[in-house]
Amino acid sequence: MTTPRTSRRQFLRLASAGGAAVVLSALPGTSWAASPDSGRLRCYVIVTDGCRPEEITPALTPNLAALRDGGTSFPAARSLPVMETIPNHVMMMTGVRPDRSGVPANSFYDRAEGTVRDMDRATDLRFPTLLERLQEKGLTTGSVLSKKYLYGVFGERASYRWEPFPLVPGTNHAPDAATIDALIAMVHGPDPDMVFTNLGDIDRVGHLDLTGTTLRAARDAALADTDVQVGRFVDHLKDTGRWQSSVILVLADHSMDWSVPTNVISVSLALTGRADLRSSITVAQNGGADLIYWTGDGAARGTGLSEIRAILAEHPGVLRIDDPAVLRLGAEAGDLVVFCRAGWRFSDPYIVSNPIPGNHGHPATEPIPFFVAGGSSRVLRGRVSSEQARTLDVAPTIGALYGLHAPAGGYDGTARTTAFEY
Amino acid sequence: MPTSTTFTRRQILRTAGSAAAVAGLPALVSTPAFAGSAAFVHGVASGDPFPDGVLLWTRVTPTAEALPASGLGPDVTVRWEVSASPDFQRIVAKGAVATGAARDHTVKAVVSGLDADTVYWYRFSYGRAVSPIGRTRTAPAAGAAVGNLRFGVVSCANYQAGYFSAYRHLAQRGDLHAALHLGDYLYEYAPGQYQARDVLVRPHDPAVEMTTLAHYRLRHAQYKTDAELQALHAVVPFIVTWDDHEAANDAWSGGAENHTEGAEGLWSDRRAAAQQAYAEWMPVRFEPGGQLYRRFEFGSLASLSMLDLRSYRSQQASNQLDPAVDNASRTITGTAQMDWLLEGLKPTGPQWKLVGNPVMITPIRVPSTLSTEGLGAVQELLGGTTIDGVPYNVDQWDGYQADQHRVLRHLRDNGVKDTVFLTGDIHSGWACDLPADPPSYPFTGDSVATELVCTSVTSDNLDDILDVPPRTASLVVESAIKANNPHVKYLDFDSHGFSVLDITPAGVRMDWYVLADRTVRDSAATLSTSWQVAAGTNKVRPVEGITL
Repeated sequence: MTTPRTSRRQFLRLASAGGAAVVLSALPGTSWAASPDSGRLRCYVIVTDGCRPEEITPALTPNLAALRDGGTSFPAARSLPVMETIPNHVMMMTGVRPDRSGVPANSFYDRAEGTVRDMDRATDLRFPTLLERLQEKGLTTGSVLSKKYLYGVFGERASYRWEPFPLVPGTNHAPDAATIDALIAMVHGPDPDMVFTNLGDIDRVGHLDLTGTTLRAARDAALADTDVQVGRFVDHLKDTGRWQSSVILVLADHSMDWSVPTNVISVSLALTGRADLRSSITVAQNGGADLIYWTGDGAARGTGLSEIRAILAEHPGVLRIDDPAVLRLGAEAGDLVVFCRAGWRFSDPYIVSNPIPGNHGHPATEPIPFFVAGGSSRVLRGRVSSEQARTLDVAPTIGALYGLHAPAGGYDGTARTTAFEY
Repeated sequence: MPTSTTFTRRQILRTAGSAAAVAGLPALVSTPAFAGSAAFVHGVASGDPFPDGVLLWTRVTPTAEALPASGLGPDVTVRWEVSASPDFQRIVAKGAVATGAARDHTVKAVVSGLDADTVYWYRFSYGRAVSPIGRTRTAPAAGAAVGNLRFGVVSCANYQAGYFSAYRHLAQRGDLHAALHLGDYLYEYAPGQYQARDVLVRPHDPAVEMTTLAHYRLRHAQYKTDAELQALHAVVPFIVTWDDHEAANDAWSGGAENHTEGAEGLWSDRRAAAQQAYAEWMPVRFEPGGQLYRRFEFGSLASLSMLDLRSYRSQQASNQLDPAVDNASRTITGTAQMDWLLEGLKPTGPQWKLVGNPVMITPIRVPSTLSTEGLGAVQELLGGTTIDGVPYNVDQWDGYQADQHRVLRHLRDNGVKDTVFLTGDIHSGWACDLPADPPSYPFTGDSVATELVCTSVTSDNLDDILDVPPRTASLVVESAIKANNPHVKYLDFDSHGFSVLDITPAGVRMDWYVLADRTVRDSAATLSTSWQVAAGTNKVRPVEGITL
């Protein structure tokens, strides 16, 4: 690690432990100097994207397992609909449901633009996040997000940001080694009070597992490597004297499920006999969940949606069909949310459109790891709680540690205070 | 009318006194009249703990002739008291219950208004007679954080096959929140029909297979005079369900293997009699015509769904090759109970979803490597034919594969974690993963739940059927079954005893204790093995340093 060197304006170029350059950005006028150390509390939210809770074991992921077992864990923790990356990261940082944040899924139908697109724009997120709210208390925040679209949706909200680089072709994410390099560089440099980090390798390898079984070794390798990277970060905190002031909240945004090639649901195919219905909807695919938007004649909407619901309910791979309002997904989620069973996936408009068996978004992928660790004396050690923590709880939990008031309208999540000494 | 009467006054008095001694509770309050200690000769019990209350049970013998199933004796009123202290200086609830010959002088009092997660003492009185003192405990409040629960787990207690040392050991622990009885609390057979190998340790009363209401009442009464059973009833609340032998072997909604329609009356009459006696004599929130399956909650830590897998099930398939085993129209639960069960197996609510499950749900296939002798012994244990590679017991969920798949698929589809089936019936100890897809399990290891099976208190198992010493010939059969069913991690076909289940937010652990000799009084019990399910894993694994 080299001594930080500021650019002329809002950029900071650092050298990582591996020698590569790490470029951080900040709002104009932001100081690059770390805050004084006395009495500080450092919080790090680390998202092991797509990790299943049972995958964290002493044998495969010893660093993560040690953090879990040495802190307070919530084994009943769940992701929330739609069990996709962007909405759950947004729920973590806002503490509110998608009907308040405006971000219900990865992919949605933008009625204004008339196209299906990712929710990867900073303007898609319309609720204040922890990243800027903590700044109102004079604290600093950082975002180190491995996925391009996460960097997009959180934009310039954090005091300090890292734009993922290098990106793996096809996945648009930075490897965990590079992400942890950036995290370490950020902590070693401006040393924000709270940093939000996403590690994308586990998820990306999970998606690439074309059989769901034979490439499990590749996923295991990804888990092991991610664990090594987390270990590097913990070692850095300890080596630099930051461990005793640190709280680390580790969780996943969703789990992962694998389908077999024959278990594919195509809404378009299911509506083959009803061209009128098929031409009246637009589908936004979200892995194990499809968002269906009525785009046809408004007068036929009610009847049409009822007919679509009845047809899809007969499909053996469909688990259930929900009203987005029931799930508090908001208007952006469209008119129907269709979830698949475990071992199935959606593929539209054609049966071969989605060849990737590794998926999430459906209820089978709700269970997530969620535990609080770190060297801070506020962390309760060796505790396991029956509480059903959710991604939604991150913001109120971290906010409570800093005495941050709830946002306007309150949180939808719950501060998991059972993990801490108050 | 009863076919025989076995209780003498001397026997009654002896039994009542010994139960208190076994349980370590204060001695009976003695009175000189018959309606003294002998008035409560069948002991006291509690059951079905809720956060605000519990059910109390006893039977009163108000006059000498008011013996079980006699139909004699006056209608009387029995008083009850609940105290926050064992010396009854802090009475917190009291009341009175009318009873009489119409319900065989059994007494059930539903107490409410109690504090959650609290130990209470209770007693009954009739005239000057006061019952033994019982101890019970309410469940934790809904949603409350709970650090641990500890349950005794038992099933399959055949009076004729031995002594109930298992109950005594559990009664003496003093650390149980409740005792789960998973069925076969009593057996229907006549003396000589089913015992300890070829040894009749203690003959059943009445000395016939029970088929009438009088038979069922007398048999219940006989079991309730067992001092070790009384002792356990007196110190912890029971949470019970029935399996088949409370009525007849391999019972289903329209009959039973051990029922001959006509010669033994109508099945509907026999079943009604069995259920009436059960309702009268068991500390359970069930009355004839009602619904036995029910759910308990223990704060945010655990729910417990107690199943009834006999009242609504279709007839068993004739054998394992019968296409009926996966016929979607056949059921082991019935539609309403299945819907209720799945509603309870949801991601929200208490963390651990325990299921009191009378028969095994784990898919088991008969291995092809068993010897003829081994196959024959398994066949006798299961009461059916055994053929390589097919489901090994069609009386279990394996014989109702549509329902079995529906439960497992529900758990997988909804990402439900921490479901543990607690099972009896099969007179053997098992710890199993529950793969949603058994063929791919060896490659994926994916499991959607777990199953922990307690062995029998006394009923015969494999070494008894093979007539060999324990842990000899059975080992070959166990190895073959585990090899053919890799999700079966632990199997003991020979031992008798009981289990202790510990539940914490971090995991569920079952300890299997085995008796030295079920056919002798005061048998010792030793810890055999311990398996646990870590939270969030849906997998069993041995407790380090304990597994044999």
